[in-house]
Amino acid sequence: MPELKPFYGGLVLLPAETALALKLVTETDLLRLKAIARLHARGLPADVSWDDLLQEAFARVISGSRRKPEGVAMVVFLSGVMRSLRSEHWRRAQLESRDSHALRRLRDVQDSQELEPTDPTPDPERSMIAWQEMARINRLFADDPVALQIVLGLAEGLSPDEIRKMSGICKTDYDSARRRMRRALLREGLTCEKK
Amino acid sequence: MTLTDSAAALTRLLDALEMILIESTEEEIMQAATDLGMNPQMKGSAAFAGIKYRTPPRLSDFYDVEFGANWPTSLQILQRPNLKDSDEK
Repeated sequence: MPELKPFYGGLVLLPAETALALKLVTETDLLRLKAIARLHARGLPADVSWDDLLQEAFARVISGSRRKPEGVAMVVFLSGVMRSLRSEHWRRAQLESRDSHALRRLRDVQDSQELEPTDPTPDPERSMIAWQEMARINRLFADDPVALQIVLGLAEGLSPDEIRKMSGICKTDYDSARRRMRRALLREGLTCEKK
Repeated sequence: MTLTDSAAALTRLLDALEMILIESTEEEIMQAATDLGMNPQMKGSAAFAGIKYRTPPRLSDFYDVEFGANWPTSLQILQRPNLKDSDEK
């Protein structure tokens, strides 16, 4: 069966533009989602870019394979879809890495004719990539010590109250730092640069 | 934090930063675009590259080597402060 593509004015539209034409989102929403897609694409395998994440999320919503629950804002819902796509890509990358590792081990076993215990540690490649991405995010806020404290706390899974208590930041300073972080993330997210 | 739990830490951090971005106002988004020299209200604005239209392919998309990866984009060339001066000469 041939693949159906959405048409509008005689042109093939990208899923995000189709969603805009259907008034599912506004242009500002698209820019907000672009910044979020860039965020979730951090550390993903090289064959997946932020626009793949964004367009795939829109495609799933438009095709009906993901249905937005009543009362949930479209931007929040699409962000959630991108989050789940990110996890899917990570799992795929992990499986591929394990498969190639298992293949290498099988060859080694065939060569040596003896079995070795399996390595129980988590995927070291993913851990290293994640570490590098954390360092890149830290560099975004390198000249903002309060933002860096917040980033550290968020990575540890702490709540805003816990971060404020741990770092001795008052609510006003915390909220101001959050606004500075948002501006930095938006500038980073809307740039034309590939990475 | 150890290297082994860095993947979980990154996931927590990205999810938290997502919340910060979801709360962004229209003014903040427009300001960020303006800071980058973009006008989202203009037709064909670079702000919508990858959203309304595909980002143009680069040589680095086809070659594994670093060849061309650091070349300036056409937008960067247009934004060079001395471009206007050299045009006038």
